[in-house]
Amino acid sequence: MLARAYLRPAWIGLAVYLFIAAAAVAALLSYATPMSWGQYVDDPYIWRVIRFSLWQALLSALISIVIAIPVASCLFHRRFIGRQALLNLFAISMVVPTIVAILGIVVVYGRSGWASSLMGEAFPLYGLVGILIAHVFFNMPLAVRMILQTYSLVPDSQWRLASQLGLSRTQAFRLIEWNYIKKSLPGLFLLIFMLCFSSFAVVLTLGGGPRSSTLEVAIYQALRFEFDLSKASYLSLLQILICTTVALCVYRLSPYVRQDISVFEGVRVPLKSTRWNSLCDISVMMLALLWVIPPFVAIFTPIFSELFWQTLFVPAVWVSVWHSLRIALPAGVLALVVAMSIASLARAVKWRAQVDKWANRFEQLGNLVLMVPGLVLATGLFIVFRELGIGISNAYWIVVWVNAMMALPFVLRAIMPTLYQQERRYRHLYDQYGIVGSARLMLEWQSCRSALAQGLAYAVLLSLGDLGVVALFGSENLVTLPMYLFQLVGSYRIEQGACVAVVLIILCLMLFLLINRGLGGRRAIV
Amino acid sequence: MSFKSIVFSAMALSISASAAANTLNVYTYDSFASDWGPGPKIKENFEAQCECDLNFVALDSSVGILSRVQLEGSESEADVLLGLDLNVMEAAKKTGLLAKHTVDTSDVTTPGGWSDDYFVPFDQGYFAFIYNSEALANPPKSLKDVVENQNLRVIYQDPRTSTPGLGLLLWMKSVYGEDAPKAWETLSRHTVTVSKGWYDGYSLFLKGEADVVLSYTTSPAYHIVAEGEDKYKAAPASEGFYPQVEVAAMLKNAPNKALAEQFMAFILQPGFQNTVATGNWMYPVTKNIDALPEAFTSQPKPTKVLTLPASEVADNRTEWVNEWLDATTR
Repeated sequence: MLARAYLRPAWIGLAVYLFIAAAAVAALLSYATPMSWGQYVDDPYIWRVIRFSLWQALLSALISIVIAIPVASCLFHRRFIGRQALLNLFAISMVVPTIVAILGIVVVYGRSGWASSLMGEAFPLYGLVGILIAHVFFNMPLAVRMILQTYSLVPDSQWRLASQLGLSRTQAFRLIEWNYIKKSLPGLFLLIFMLCFSSFAVVLTLGGGPRSSTLEVAIYQALRFEFDLSKASYLSLLQILICTTVALCVYRLSPYVRQDISVFEGVRVPLKSTRWNSLCDISVMMLALLWVIPPFVAIFTPIFSELFWQTLFVPAVWVSVWHSLRIALPAGVLALVVAMSIASLARAVKWRAQVDKWANRFEQLGNLVLMVPGLVLATGLFIVFRELGIGISNAYWIVVWVNAMMALPFVLRAIMPTLYQQERRYRHLYDQYGIVGSARLMLEWQSCRSALAQGLAYAVLLSLGDLGVVALFGSENLVTLPMYLFQLVGSYRIEQGACVAVVLIILCLMLFLLINRGLGGRRAIV
Repeated sequence: MSFKSIVFSAMALSISASAAANTLNVYTYDSFASDWGPGPKIKENFEAQCECDLNFVALDSSVGILSRVQLEGSESEADVLLGLDLNVMEAAKKTGLLAKHTVDTSDVTTPGGWSDDYFVPFDQGYFAFIYNSEALANPPKSLKDVVENQNLRVIYQDPRTSTPGLGLLLWMKSVYGEDAPKAWETLSRHTVTVSKGWYDGYSLFLKGEADVVLSYTTSPAYHIVAEGEDKYKAAPASEGFYPQVEVAAMLKNAPNKALAEQFMAFILQPGFQNTVATGNWMYPVTKNIDALPEAFTSQPKPTKVLTLPASEVADNRTEWVNEWLDATTR
């Protein structure tokens, strides 16, 4: 099955991806001296960092999910003005550049921020509180959207039955919804846990010193300031080990999920809503809105200031816009190409006797990159380049590749359901007529373009907001917009930074709309 | 100017900068190369005599300079590293990337004179805690006062990423010795934040987030000369001050060796040394230069200078940093 000629390009895509990832990790490991690792095992600081990383990741994932479940339920059952706008906002807050969101959060909760002036005393932002606020800001919307996806698994007949039996929202939740939601929770928990466990920019900015540090920041320290490749290898292996252990535990505990996602919205049957349900809906929606909206408002406030218009005339801003685009666009396209390679292989074996399990393995290959810190990939690639005699001037390609790889899990998540569905519906026709390769793509284009556009948009926006990889190579010839912003904020020129943040988020919104509407067509799911 | 033309002129600039054959690449930290630092003046003075391009590559911290050339290894395009300090010299030598210099350093005025085969000093100063004399009625008189006064809100820099931070680490070690971890723990109870670099921490202090901040004895001179403001003062230290000497070195694989040697010699000449006081706000290291502004000469000269031997620092640095990490995160 997998040896068919038309799958060769897909194999090449997968091979290039795996080869680059493996070469990067191997290159770094070749500098490791495991003999010296004994000293790190006894280092109490590293253990404290690990404990803190686990603790904050656990809290972030739990809080995000606990808020997301009732919010998703409310958004599914109710129709109100601004619902679609809210869903769009959630889509954007998932990919809003970290540094911009951090800036918004600082404006709202910082020492001289809105929260402090409302409460009359300084809000204790720096430390665990700040990290949690930021992590939930990013991941709660992600959780809401993923839980909403699982709602489409519920057959319409169940809702009709619930309506006929006169079930209230609470009863329906307990008897119907929860059975579907709970299946998606382990995967969701794992995704958010891993994203927060390897959180970098948030912890570096809002952690407030060595007390609140994550393993990823420790790796950054080891690479950037101590230049201790052996220690960095040790810490990365530790990170990979911990993530794998957590993943195995979660998958062991989770029930088998049948992949049969329908992306078409079903009929909505209104259910009886008690006063208690309405109260619940209102309070949980208020909480979610209060969490997500103020930082956005804060980000846009400088637009009315004179400084903002002056900022538009600073050449350095436009130079960094240019650098950002020339990294993000190729990285997005690369991510989409690799993701489609993986997807073609996975759908070819899906639902076929004996090889069906390979479909999941291909997907997991794509998600593997969540465990490896981006900085480790970047440094490893740099060492490979150095061994080949190619200098720092090629840092550009490293940044592009690493960004593309880091976006892969998100692209896969966006395109897989639609592609699987196409396969399920048309496989027999394809087989009968021998339609393969690019011919399939042409036929499917109309029904897949919106998902593909969404995947590309995620990848481009994630790369546009990247700070970890580009920070390692920080040179004046490669200052991206987030990097420039980080320099301004790092030197407490907050006001000018705020104006640059507006430029960055407008750029994000424009690209998001442009890609989704332009490539995705009218039916684009934004 | 349209967006396009800005982008293309910037591209053209970056291409022409890297393409110039007779270019000297100097890696330094960001504030040295910034518009308000001594960088632009030095560039002008050096280019007038060398008929070349002096290109400063600004990195985010002084420790970052070293790790960057280590990452680049023999492929590095750097000719000269400017902005390492006394306490990372041994670590830098061990990388094997540096070349010996040929500069005569016999006239250098650092404490105890200067003799080092690899490094040429370019400025010096003493670490000190700075306070606002209008806001703080009872300023500390010693390092012990800073550590033990629980009402004093303190900001200092991370010793892993910043040379003042590392300086404080050694200062604490030379005052407290074996008891340093305990002193760190006491200090951490009234520390506002440990900042990544000098500039972050100092800006927070100026915004009123702390009572004292770790900086240099010469920092008040900046406020007097540049702002006409004399409320900022350096707290005295009865135990003695810890010195900082900032140094430069050239690389073994420097693409432009002749220019690098010329620049190393230029460091001790008036064209460089005259910019140090009011550009980097540090003391120069030679005597044959313009008189310093009064704001500098009126600062109290340290009566006692503490220093730990360079070899001891090199051998124990990691251990002491771990000691600090352990004590402050407990």
